[in-house]
Amino acid sequence: MINKYLKHTALAFSITAASCVAMAQEDAVTIYGVKSLSGSFASYGKYADMGSKLAVEQYGQVLGKTPSYKAIDTEGNAGKALRKVQEAISQNSAKFFDGGTLSSTSLAIGKEVHKSGGVFITPAGADELTGVDCNASTFRWSVPTYGAIRETVIPLLKEHPEKKRWYTITPQYVFGEALLSNAKTVFDELGIEHVGNSYHSLQEQEFSGYVTNAMAAQPDVLLLLNFGSQSSNALRQAINFGLKNQMTILLTWSSGLDQFQELGADITENVYFGAQYWHSVDTPLNNKLVKEVKEAYGITPNYPLAADYISTKLLLDAIVEAGTTTPGDVIKALEGKSYEGPTGTETVRAADHQVLKNYYLLKGKSASEMKNADDFAEIVSYGKSFPDESSLECKGM
Amino acid sequence: MNLYLFQVVNGIGLGMIYFLISVGLSIIFGLLNFVNFAHGAFYLLGAYLSYTAVSITGNYWLALIVAPLCIAFFAWVCERTLIKRVYHLPHTYQILVTLGVALIIQEVCISIWGPIGKSISPPDSLKGVLQIGDFYYPQYRLFVIAFAAVVALLVWLLLDKTKFGALVRAGSEDAETVSLLGTHTHRLFSITFALGVGLAGLAGVLAAPIKGIHPFVGPEVLGIAFVVVVIGGMGSFTGALVGGLIVGIVQSVMSTLWPQGASLMIYGAMAFVILLRPYGLFGRA
Repeated sequence: MINKYLKHTALAFSITAASCVAMAQEDAVTIYGVKSLSGSFASYGKYADMGSKLAVEQYGQVLGKTPSYKAIDTEGNAGKALRKVQEAISQNSAKFFDGGTLSSTSLAIGKEVHKSGGVFITPAGADELTGVDCNASTFRWSVPTYGAIRETVIPLLKEHPEKKRWYTITPQYVFGEALLSNAKTVFDELGIEHVGNSYHSLQEQEFSGYVTNAMAAQPDVLLLLNFGSQSSNALRQAINFGLKNQMTILLTWSSGLDQFQELGADITENVYFGAQYWHSVDTPLNNKLVKEVKEAYGITPNYPLAADYISTKLLLDAIVEAGTTTPGDVIKALEGKSYEGPTGTETVRAADHQVLKNYYLLKGKSASEMKNADDFAEIVSYGKSFPDESSLECKGM
Repeated sequence: MNLYLFQVVNGIGLGMIYFLISVGLSIIFGLLNFVNFAHGAFYLLGAYLSYTAVSITGNYWLALIVAPLCIAFFAWVCERTLIKRVYHLPHTYQILVTLGVALIIQEVCISIWGPIGKSISPPDSLKGVLQIGDFYYPQYRLFVIAFAAVVALLVWLLLDKTKFGALVRAGSEDAETVSLLGTHTHRLFSITFALGVGLAGLAGVLAAPIKGIHPFVGPEVLGIAFVVVVIGGMGSFTGALVGGLIVGIVQSVMSTLWPQGASLMIYGAMAFVILLRPYGLFGRA
C-alpha cells in the first residue's frame, strides 16, 4: 500500500517537475511589431505601434511569463522591412510578428515569416495576402476590397436609389484595380451606369484634372477608389471644385478617424466613407479599448491603433490557447477561432486565414452636429461581405 | 465649354501655383548660384505656420502676411549662420547641407504638428465656385492665379527695375567688384536668399487650402520646382513663369488624354525641352 502510494506520489511529482521544466524551457513570448515609424507612412506606424504596445502591456502573463514587445521600423520601405525581419529571425529567433500596414511590406514579410515557420498577422489592404499569395503563416485582419465595395456601394444605393450614374477615380496599381473590378461587378448587379473612370498614377497628388473629367461626365455619385494622402487630396480638391453640391461623394477605403482629423468637418460633411473601424462602435471590446486608449494615451483610438491592438491580442490569445510557442500549434489555434473584437464577433477563416469582420459605411457630420472633437461621422450601415470559400483564390494552406 | 479648353484653363491655374513654388528656387540659383534642396521644406514650414496662424486667429489673410515674413526671417538667420559658409563650396556640399536642413525642418514639423496632415479652409469670401457653362472653377483658385500674377509682376519689378535688383544681378556675376564699389555683398546675398525662401513660404500658405499640409510634402514640392526650373532655364525669372505654365497645362490636359500618365508627362515635357534646349527655354549656357 505504502509502495503504491510512493509510486503515485513519485509519478505525480515527476509529471509536475516535467511540466515545470517544459515551462521553464519556453522563453518569454516576444511580439515583433513591424511598423512604419519613420518615412512617408509614419503617421500610420506611430498609432499602430501604440496599439501593439498597449495590447502587450495589458495582457498579463503568457505561458507563465510576461510577454514583451519589440518594434521594427520599416521606414515605409518593403526592402528595409524585409531585411530587418530577416535579422530578427536569424539573430533573435523571432517567431511572432504583426503590423505591416503597407501591402508591399506585408506581402514580403508574410513570405519571409512563412519560410522561417513563424506567424504573422497584418491589417494590410492587398487581397493577395489571403488570395493568390496566401500562406500558412499569414493572417489578415482587414476586410478585403470585395467586402469594402459591397458594404459601401450597396447600402449607399439603398439610401439613394435614384443615383444610378457613377464615376470612379482609381489609382492604377493592384489595389485600385481590385477595388474597381469589384465595383464594376456590383454596378452590373444593381443596374448602375458606370459613366466613366479616371486612372491616376501612384505618385499623383494633383487631382483637379480628374475632378474636371468627373464634372464633365455629370454623374450622380463620385466614387473615390484611392487611399491615404491621395484620397485626401482627391476629396479636398473635389470639394474645392464644388462637387459636393452637384453629386454624392463616396470614398470607399478611408483610413478612418485620422483622415477625418486631417480633412476637418468642413470637407467631410455629408461625404460617405468606408471604414474598417470606427471608435463609436458599441461592442464590449471596443468600449474597453476606447476607455483604455484614452487612459493610456489621452486620445481616441483610430484604425491603425485598433487594428494592431487586436492583431497583437489575437496572437497572444492563440499562444495561450495553444499552450506553447510552437508556431504550428499557434496557427492551429488561430484557424477557425471566433473571438470578441473591436467590430463585434470576429472569426478567423481557416481556408484563407482571413478574419471575417464588419466593414462600415460612415457619413460625415457637420461641425455643429459633432458632440465632441472626434465625433466626425455617423454609422450609416455595417456588415460582413466575403467571397464564398468555393471561390477563394488561396490554394497555399 | 469644351473639356479640353477647360483643362487648359485649369492648367493655367495649376501653372501659376507651380510658378510660385519654383520662382524662389530659381532666384536663389540664378543670382546666388546656390542649390537649395531645403526649398520644399521651407514651403512646408510656411504651410504649417499658416495653419497655426489660422487656428489661433481664424484669419487667413493675416496668415498670408505673417507666415511668409516669418519664413523669410528664419531663412535670413539660416543664411547668416550656416548657408553663407558653403556659398564658395561645390554644389555637392550645398546639396548636403540643405538636405540636412530639410530633414531637420521636416522632423521638427512632425514633432510640433504631429504626423497626421492638416487642412486649412479658404477664407469665407473665396469659398464658392464660379460656374462656366457645365464646369465650375473654385473662386480660391482664381484668387491664387491673380495673386501669383501680382507677385510675379512685383518680383520682376524688384529684380529688373530697382537698384537693389541691379546690385544683386551684378553681385552674382562678380561679387568682388561689386564689393569694391562699396556694396555690402553679404547683406545683399542674405536678403536675396530670404526673398527666395520667403516666396517658397508664400507658396506654402497659398497652396495649403488646395493641397492640404502633410509633413512629407517637401520632396514632392522640390521635385516639381526643379522640373519647372529646368524647363524654364536655371535662374531665369521668365523661365519659372513659362515653365510653371507648361507643366500645369501638360498635367491638366494629359489627365483627360492619358490620365494614368499625367504625372509622367511632366517629366516627358522636361526631357523634350532638354533635348531641344539643354539649358532650358530661357537659360544661359
